Amino acid sequence: MKAINKFKALAGTVIIAASAMLTGCGGGDSADGALKVGVMAGPEADLMKVAAANAEADHGVTVQLVEFSDYISPNMALADGSIDVNAFQHRPYLDSMVNDRGFKLSVVGNTFVYPIGAYSNKISDISELQDGARVSIPNDPSNEGRTLILLHNEGLITLRDVNNLEATPADIIDNPKNLRFIELDAAQLPRSMDDVDLAFINSTYSVAAGLLPTRDALLVEGKDSPYVNIIVSREDNKDDERIARLVESYQTESVEAKAEELFKGGAVAGWK
Amino acid sequence: MSADSWALLFRSLWETIYMTGLSGLMSFVFGIPLGVLLYITKPGRFMASPVIHMILGAVVNATRSVPFIILMVAIIPLTRMLVGTSIGTTAAIVPLTLAAIPFVARIAEGAINEVPGGLIEAAQAMGATPLQIIIRVLLPEARPGLINGMTITLVTLVGYSAMAGAIGGGGLGDLGIRYGYQRFDGVIMLATVVVLIVLVQLVQSVGDRLQTYFDRSH
Repeated sequence: MKAINKFKALAGTVIIAASAMLTGCGGGDSADGALKVGVMAGPEADLMKVAAANAEADHGVTVQLVEFSDYISPNMALADGSIDVNAFQHRPYLDSMVNDRGFKLSVVGNTFVYPIGAYSNKISDISELQDGARVSIPNDPSNEGRTLILLHNEGLITLRDVNNLEATPADIIDNPKNLRFIELDAAQLPRSMDDVDLAFINSTYSVAAGLLPTRDALLVEGKDSPYVNIIVSREDNKDDERIARLVESYQTESVEAKAEELFKGGAVAGWK
Repeated sequence: MSADSWALLFRSLWETIYMTGLSGLMSFVFGIPLGVLLYITKPGRFMASPVIHMILGAVVNATRSVPFIILMVAIIPLTRMLVGTSIGTTAAIVPLTLAAIPFVARIAEGAINEVPGGLIEAAQAMGATPLQIIIRVLLPEARPGLINGMTITLVTLVGYSAMAGAIGGGGLGDLGIRYGYQRFDGVIMLATVVVLIVLVQLVQSVGDRLQTYFDRSH
């Protein structure tokens, strides 16, 4: 995630305050009026616009987008009732925010994951992976943990604790294929593909190297990834019918098609 | 520290010794002759050849300018050709050696520069061939300076090898960065730094002793 720009954070807060004043109340608690959704300005807002159009057309739910440009205020605005729901973060980030600030927030659905995927120049299907195959993985704590959790979820290894987001190869308790892990700098992974059987690459680097998660990956993170992005509400409004309709409107083909157009294969639907 | 951590520490220590030792040795083998060439081809020297001197100097400077991490990536095809893979501890030796050769060459050139010109003239007057001058006069006379240069190179390589973690080379620097720095494990970070200090001290004192020994013996 990008560093917080204080000026933009301030601007974001001003927008919330202004929109709160315009609607004449402290937030969108009232059942009538538009459902206020906090998103990051940019392509993620474009995705939500498609979902908002779906919600209006299919369910008659009016959605108002509130665009942010930093990662702190969307949760603050949600917690204080200025907005009803937000969609910009993944669960580990939400957990740390909740931990630090004591927000009472609740996950209501998945959006997209910008996934770590497995790529190979040697094999074309994961079932061809031989005993003792060489597998290169990122060497920084969060991406390494992400990769091992993906391998665990695919049944290729067993981790001691799948909730440990910073697992290392030392935390593997069962490795039936005797995979040999080679830990490399994340930017080095696409370059390692001629020397290994399988390389796990973060979408940031795979897309830059011309490897698309939706086209080239043999394995890719999906809804089981802890790093799938989520739609979040407050605990007190998580049962609001309009929020369920919004989630339904987001998890659709039309939003997925828009994501393909905007992220060119770098975003994978996290609800399937 | 846990048993696992000790095992990691010892493995990393061995990886550092292996990487810096072999790349150091090979950079002396190629770098010292290169330094001699730089010296003897300089205009005014006994095998002056301005064109060769300029080309060698330009190549040495260019290699020394490339940031190490970029050098590692740029020479992946060469590394794969020489050792069969571009990742791992052995693979890291290739870029380390290539980065150290021009460094050694400049240090060797500097050490030979200190040899008094009168000695070379005397050898020439006695009819010594250029090869004899190099082997009998330049290298023995420059020996203390060369040993000092080798020590500096080895210590520099210990530092460079920390970056070898990017291509899976391992070593103490990589251990300190990945477990100490990135995972906030202060104990591992401290242990790594202590072992590195001891290692560098050891290399430096052995180098100093060798230098004193050869200084006295001629």
